[in-house]
Amino acid sequence: MIELKEIDKFIESRFQRIFILKGVNLTINEGEFVTLMGPSGAGKSTLLNILGLLDDDYKGEYLIDGRPIHRMKERERSALHKSEFGYIFQAYHLIDELTVFENIETPLLYRKVPSAERKSIIANLLDRFNMVAKKDLFPAQLSGGQQQLVGIARAIAGKPKVLLADEPTGNLHSAQAQEIMEVFQELHKEGATIIQATHARSNADYGTRLINLVDGKVTSDESIQHA
Amino acid sequence: MWKNYLKISFRNLKKRKLYTAINLLGLTVALVSFILISLYIHHEWSYDRMYTDADRIYRFTQVFSDSEESQLVSSTPSSLVPTVLDEVDEAEMGTLLFDLSIFQSVVIDNAGEKQEEKKFAYADENFFNVFDFNVLVGNPQTMLSEPRQMVITESTAERYFGSAFSAEGKTLKVETTDYLITGVMEDFPSNSHIDFDFIVSFKSHRHGSDPQWSPSNYYSYVKLREGTDLEAFESKLAVMTEKYLGNEMRQYSFETGFFLQPVTDIHLGDQSLNNIKPTTDKKYLYIFAVVALLLIAIGVINYVNLATAEATERNKEVGLRKVLGAMRAQLFGQFVSESMILTFAAMLLSLLFIYILAPQFSDMAGFEIGAGNLLSPISILGLFGLMIVVGLLAGIYPSLILSGMEPIKALGNNIKLGGGAWVRKGLVVFQFFISIGLLISTFVVQSQLNYMQDVNLGYKQDHLIAVTYPYQFRSKIEGVVDEMKRSGSAISVSRAADKPIFIQAGYSIMSGGDNTEAFSITGYSVDTELVETLELELLAGENFSEADPTRQEARETEAIHPVLFNEFAIKRMGWDPEEAIGKNVNLGFGMGRIKGVVKDFYFNSLHHSVGPLVIYNDPDQANVLLVKLPAGNPAPHLATLNDIWYEIGDGRPFNYEFVDTAYGQMYTSEQTISQIFGLFSGIAIFIACMGLFGLVSYVALRRTREISIRKVLGATQANVIQVLASDFFKLLAISAILAIGFGLWFSSAWLQDFANKASIGIGPYVIAISIVLALAAVTIGYRAWKVFKLNPAKTLKSE
Repeated sequence: MIELKEIDKFIESRFQRIFILKGVNLTINEGEFVTLMGPSGAGKSTLLNILGLLDDDYKGEYLIDGRPIHRMKERERSALHKSEFGYIFQAYHLIDELTVFENIETPLLYRKVPSAERKSIIANLLDRFNMVAKKDLFPAQLSGGQQQLVGIARAIAGKPKVLLADEPTGNLHSAQAQEIMEVFQELHKEGATIIQATHARSNADYGTRLINLVDGKVTSDESIQHA
Repeated sequence: MWKNYLKISFRNLKKRKLYTAINLLGLTVALVSFILISLYIHHEWSYDRMYTDADRIYRFTQVFSDSEESQLVSSTPSSLVPTVLDEVDEAEMGTLLFDLSIFQSVVIDNAGEKQEEKKFAYADENFFNVFDFNVLVGNPQTMLSEPRQMVITESTAERYFGSAFSAEGKTLKVETTDYLITGVMEDFPSNSHIDFDFIVSFKSHRHGSDPQWSPSNYYSYVKLREGTDLEAFESKLAVMTEKYLGNEMRQYSFETGFFLQPVTDIHLGDQSLNNIKPTTDKKYLYIFAVVALLLIAIGVINYVNLATAEATERNKEVGLRKVLGAMRAQLFGQFVSESMILTFAAMLLSLLFIYILAPQFSDMAGFEIGAGNLLSPISILGLFGLMIVVGLLAGIYPSLILSGMEPIKALGNNIKLGGGAWVRKGLVVFQFFISIGLLISTFVVQSQLNYMQDVNLGYKQDHLIAVTYPYQFRSKIEGVVDEMKRSGSAISVSRAADKPIFIQAGYSIMSGGDNTEAFSITGYSVDTELVETLELELLAGENFSEADPTRQEARETEAIHPVLFNEFAIKRMGWDPEEAIGKNVNLGFGMGRIKGVVKDFYFNSLHHSVGPLVIYNDPDQANVLLVKLPAGNPAPHLATLNDIWYEIGDGRPFNYEFVDTAYGQMYTSEQTISQIFGLFSGIAIFIACMGLFGLVSYVALRRTREISIRKVLGATQANVIQVLASDFFKLLAISAILAIGFGLWFSSAWLQDFANKASIGIGPYVIAISIVLALAAVTIGYRAWKVFKLNPAKTLKSE
C-alpha cells in the first residue's frame, strides 16, 4: 500500500548538498509491523515524517495505494493524512491543557465525528487501556508509561490504517517499554500496519520486518520470524 | 467544535493569569473610554433633531456690513417673524424667542421669597407649535397667547411649588410684574439648543404688541413648507429687507440681510454666532473620535503583542494539533475564539464599570448616561459590533501567526521567538508614540491656558467683583455706590456696560473733525471711576471728571462728548497719545473730544488681539457694577456689600462673581480639552505600560537562563536591567522622536486659533517624554529586578 521510489532528502548548504536520505526505495504492505533501526542521525525520523505526510520537501516518488502524493491537492493530501495515519511520539506530546479524555478526543474533533460516537470510541479506548478512572486527569498527573498509553489511544482513536511511532519507548523504563510494545503487538494482530523507528534491538523483535538505515541509506531489509 | 474551542480557550486564559489580566484590563479601559466618547459624540450630534420636521425648521441670522467689515449674528429684530409669515408663502409657521439673560437676570418673588433667576425668556404664542416640547400641564396653543402668562419647566415647578401639578394657576412676581402660570413643560432635553426655566409670553414685552425693525435682540425661527427652495426663499427675504430697511441702510451707509441656518446646525455650526447654550466646535468631536479609536488601538495592540510573544510557548500545542489533523482554519478559529472571549469579558466589565460610575460620568459629560442610552436596541447592536470588530482586530494577526506554524519545526525544540518580532516592535513604537503625543498635546494646551491666566491683561483683576443689575435698578444704583464706598468694604466702585473681560458693543468712527480715518470700534459705556477701579494706565490726558457731561447730557445739550480712546485707536487715527489730546473725532452719533488715552488692555478673549476701543462717560447704559475690594480676606467685605445691596435693593439678592473667575470661564472649552487630553493620555500610558510589562515579562522568562549565567559571571543588577531594557528603550526613543514631530504639528495647528499665543519651549516635550520614559523604566526595572532576584543555581539546574 505504501511505495517509496528513489527518495532523496537533503539540505542545501552553500557549497554542497548534505543528504539526509539518499535513494530510498521501500514498499510496505498492509498488515506489516516494520521497525526502522539505525544510529542517531541515520534518517529514521525524517523517513517517518515523509511517510506521515508531515514533510513534503523531498525528491522522488511516494505512492499510497498506487496514487502519487505529490500530484495531490493540499485538501486531498490533508484528508489522506487524517484517514491513513496515527502518530506516536517519544516525548508523548500530549496537550498539557487538555485532560486524558480531551486529548484522545482531539483528533476525532478534527475529523468531525459526532459527539455520541466520539464518546463511545473514547470509552472503549479508556476501557481497553484501563484508564477509565484517569480520564479527567491532566497529562502532568500521569506517569510516563501512562502518558504514552494515552498517546497510543489518541493515535488509534481516528482508526488510521497506519501507525507511525518515533522512538515510542525512548523515555520509558524497560518494564513500561515492554508493556507498550505488547500493546503494539496486539494492535498489529488486530490488523494495524505499524511503522516504528527505534534504536533498541529488543523492540524489533515484536515486529515482522526490520530495516536498517545508515547515513540515509537502507543497508538491510529482512523479515523477522517469530517462534 | 465551537464548544470545544470555547472550553480550551477559557482554560488557556485561566492558566495564563498575568497575560489574561493585562489584556482584560487594557481592553476594558479602552472600551470604557471608547463607549463614553461615542455616547458624548452621539449626544452632540443629536442636538435639535427631536422636533417634528426638524429638517424644515430654521433660525434666522442677520448680517451687518459696512465698507470695512461684515458681521453675522443670530439675533434679529422683532418684526422679522410677523413680516415673513405675512409676506412669504413658503413660511409655514414661525416663532420668536428672547433670551433675557443676555442683558440681565431677573428677581422672582414668590410670595415674598426672592430668588435671582437667569434662565428666563420671552416667547410668542407659536413657540410650542414650532418646537413640540412635551407639555405636562396647560394648553400649548393658548398658554403663551396673552400678556402676563408664564410657562415653567417641571424642575422649576418642583423647586417653587413642590410639583408640576400644583404650579398651574399660581402667580409669580418677576421684578415688579405679576405673571400667571398657565403651563408646565418637561425640562428642555439636554440635546436641545434651547434651555430655560421660565418662558413668559412675548405679548408681555413692549415689542410683543408693537414689533420693530430695531433692535436685533431676538432669536427668530421659521418652519418652511415641504420642498421649499432655500435660495428662492432667501432672495424673497432680500426683497423684503429692501422694502422695510432700504431707506435706513442708505441713510446710515450700511447693509443688512437675513439668512437661514438649519436648526440642527446650531449646536455644531458657526461658533461665532451668539447662542442660548454654549456650543461645541465640530473639530473637537473629530479629535475625540480619533482619540477614542487610538485608545482602542492601544488596547488591541497589547493583545496582539502579548499573543504573538506568547506564540513561542504555544508552538508545541499548535504543531501537535496539526499532526492530529487540524486544518489551519480550525486552529485559526480556536485562537480567534480566545480573543473573542476576552473581548466579550472586557465588554461586560466595561458595561458594569460604566453602570456603576454612571452618575460621575453623567456629571462630567453634562447629560444623562445610563441604561437608557446604553441598552437601546441600536446601542446594543453597536456594542455587539464593536465587540466583534475589536475581537477580530485583536485575534486575527496572532491567530494567523500561530496557525501558520509548521508542525515539524514547532515540535522540535529549536524554535526561536515566534514570527512577527518586527510587527511587535512597530506596534510598541506606535503605542508609545500615541501616549507621548497625547501627553505633549496636553502640556501644550496647558501652557496656553496658563499663559492666558497669567498674561498681563493691562488691568487688574484681583479683588475685583462684578454684579449685574437690571434696568429697573438703575435709579437705586447711585445710592448703592455711595453706601458701598462709605462702608470701607469697597476701595473703588464703577458702573460699566460690560465686564472688562468681554466688551462687545460695536460702534463706528466716521471721518470728520480732526480725523480722516473711518473704522469700526468697540465702545465701552462707563462712569468716571472706571480708570481707577480697573487701574488702567493713562498714557496722556486725563480721566473723566464729575464736571464732564455724560453722553446723555451731551446729546441733550448738543455739547461735545469728552471720550477716552485706547492707544490702538489713536494710532489707527495716525496720532501719538500726547498729540491726540483735545482733538475732535466724529463718533457717528455726535462729535467727541479726546480727553485721555489709556494703554491697551485686553477686552476680549485672547483668541482675539486688541482692537480699537472708545470709552464713553455714559453711566446710563451701564448694567454691571465693578467693585474693587480691599486686599485680604474678601468674605467680611462681601458680607457688608451684601447687606447694603439687600437693604437698598428691597431684598434683591446680591449675586456677584469674581472677574478673574469669570475670565477663566471664557476658556472653558480649552480647559475641557486640556482635561480630556490629560485623562486620555493617562489612560493611553497606563494601557501601553501594562502591555510593556507583559512583553518584558515574556522576554525575561525567555532569557532567565541567560541572565542567570550572566549573574554567575558577575553581572550587577544594573547590567541585567540594561540587558533587558536596551531593546525597549530603543523603541521608546523612536516613539519619542515621532511624538516630538506630532507635538510640533499639533502646537502650531492648535495655537492658530489664538491671536495671543504662549511661546511653547521645549518644556512640554521634555516633561512628557520624561514622564513616559520614567514609567516605562519603572515597568521594565521591576520586571528585571524580579528576574535578577532568582537564584541562578535553581534556574540553571532546571535547564
